[in-house]
Amino acid sequence: MISNLLGLLFRSIVVLSGTAIVTFALLWNAPGDPAQAIAMARFDALLTEDVIDQVRREVGLDASFWSAFGDWIGPLLVFDFGHSAVTGRPVWPDLWTSITYTFPLALVSLAIGLAVSIPLAILATKRPGGLLDRFAVAIASLGTAIPAFWLGLLLILLFSVQLAWLPAMGARTPAHAVLPALTLGLGTAASLTRIIRSGILEARGQPFLPAIRRRGVTSKAMDRDHIAPHAAIPVVTVIGLELAFLLEGLVVVEVIFGRPGLGTFLTSAIVARDFPHVQAVVVVTALVFVTVNLLIDVIYQLIDPRIGERDA
Amino acid sequence: MRSVLILSGVIVFFIMLGPALAPYDPSAIDIPNRLSPPSGAHVLGTDAFGRDILSRLLHGARWSLGLAFLISLIGLVIGTFIGLAAALGGKLADWVVMRTTDTFLAFPELVAAVVIAGLMGAGTWSLIFALSVTGWMRYARVARGTGLSLQSRGYVVQARLARLPFWYIARWHYLPSLLPSLTVVWTGAFARAILGISTLGFLGFGVQPPMPEWGSMLLDARIHMRSTPLQMIWPGLAVVLSVLAINLAGDALRDAVANDDKQA
Repeated sequence: MISNLLGLLFRSIVVLSGTAIVTFALLWNAPGDPAQAIAMARFDALLTEDVIDQVRREVGLDASFWSAFGDWIGPLLVFDFGHSAVTGRPVWPDLWTSITYTFPLALVSLAIGLAVSIPLAILATKRPGGLLDRFAVAIASLGTAIPAFWLGLLLILLFSVQLAWLPAMGARTPAHAVLPALTLGLGTAASLTRIIRSGILEARGQPFLPAIRRRGVTSKAMDRDHIAPHAAIPVVTVIGLELAFLLEGLVVVEVIFGRPGLGTFLTSAIVARDFPHVQAVVVVTALVFVTVNLLIDVIYQLIDPRIGERDA
Repeated sequence: MRSVLILSGVIVFFIMLGPALAPYDPSAIDIPNRLSPPSGAHVLGTDAFGRDILSRLLHGARWSLGLAFLISLIGLVIGTFIGLAAALGGKLADWVVMRTTDTFLAFPELVAAVVIAGLMGAGTWSLIFALSVTGWMRYARVARGTGLSLQSRGYVVQARLARLPFWYIARWHYLPSLLPSLTVVWTGAFARAILGISTLGFLGFGVQPPMPEWGSMLLDARIHMRSTPLQMIWPGLAVVLSVLAINLAGDALRDAVANDDKQA
C-alpha cells in the first residue's frame, strides 16, 4: 500500500517535471519575435531595433534554452511566477484574482452537475429501457454533443435577450454567475448522468447480488450497501475527466460571459504574447490536474480493495 | 459496424458534395440583403455581409467535418504507433512512453490546444497541429493495453522468437486485434475534434474568416444576436447534429465490440 502510494507520487512528480519542460519548450519555440510583440504591447508605436533589443535583454530572451529554463523553474518551485512581460507587474496577484473568479464558478457548476445527474440516473435506472430511462439517455446524449460556447450563447439569447431576467456580461453580482454556472453545470450533468447510469446498471449485474438477496437482505439495504458503493467507483474515476471538461468549458464560458477569470486571463495573455502569464496558467492548471488525479488514484485504492496489484 | 459505415458515408457525402449542393457562392457579398431572415431566395437567411448562410454551412462541412476527420486520423496513426512501441519495446521504453503520455494528459486537451494554436499564430495549420498533438493519447493507451494483453499469445511469442521485424509483428499480429477498439476510440476522437475545431474557431484561434468554418460563423453571428438570433442557431445545430450522430454510432459500435468479446 505505502509503496503503491510512493509510486503514484513519484509518477506525478515525473509528469509535472515533464509538463514544465514541454511548456517551456513550446513557448521558447513559438514563432514570431516575442520581444517585438512585448515592445509593441508596451509602447504601442513604431519601434527601432534598439528598443526591441533592450526589451529582449530585460525579459531574458537573449539567454540559451537551458539557462533560461533554469531561471524560470528555480523561482517557480517557491511559487514565484515572475513578472508580466507586458505590464511588468508580478504575475501571482493578478493570477490569484482571476482564480478567485474561476474556482467558485467551477465548484458551483460541479455541484449543479451532481445535483442533476445523480437523481436523474437513479430515476432512470428504476426501470431500465423504460420511458424515463430513454428520455434521460436522450437528454444526456444531446447534452454531451452541445459545445459549451453554443449552450452559453443560447442561454444568453433566452434569459438575457428575450426574457431579460439575468445579466449576460460581467461578474459584479451573484446574478452574473447564474448563466455561466448553468452552462457548465448542465454540460457536466449530461456526461455524469451517462456514467452514473451505466455504473448502476453494471453494479446490478454483479453475480454476488442474487446470493446476498437469498440471505434475506432487503432491496433498500441492497441499494445502499452493495449497489451504491459499486456504482461509485466509475464516478470517482471520471471526476478527473469531468475536471478536464470543466476547465475546458471555463475558458470558453468566461470569454462568452466576460468574466475576468482564469480563462480570460489565459486568452488575453496568448493574444498579447505575455509568456510569463501563459506559463503561469499552464503550470497552475497542470498542478491542479495532476494533484486531483493523484488524489483519485489514492481514493480509488481505498474504496476498491481489488485495485493495487493491477497496473492502473 | 454498419452504423459507422452509414455515418462515414453521410459525412464523406457532405464533405465531397456539400459545396456542390450550395445554392450560392459562400463568400459572395451582398450588402443590400444583409442580415435578411429566412426566405425563398435564402432558405436560412443571410449574415452580416449578405452571404447565404445555407451555402456557408454546406461549404463549412469541408472545414468542420473534413478537418476533424483528418485530425482524428493523424491521432490514430501517431497514437497507435506510440502505444505499440510501448507494448513491444520492453519495460524501459514502456515506462518512458507511458510517462510521456501522462505528461500530455496533464493538461485538459482543449486548453492545451488553445495555448498551442494561439501561440503558433491563428490559422488552419496551427489548428491541425494543436489538435493532433493533444489528441493521440487515448489511442496510445488502448493500443498499449491491448498490445500487452496479446504479448503472451502463442502466435506473438512465435513471431518474436522468429525475430520478425517490429513492423511485421505490429501489422500482422497486433493490428487486426486492435482495430475494433481503436475504431471505438476513433469515433470519440472524431466527435471531440469537431467540438475542438468549432471551439477554437469561436475563440478566434482556429480557421480564419472569411472561411465558412462553423465555429467562426458563430463568432460572427454572436454580434448580431439581438437583431437576427436565428443566424446563431444554424451553425451550432450543425455542430450538435454531427457530434450527436458520431457519438451514437460510437455507442452502437462499442456495444457490438463488447458483444464480440463476450462470444469469443
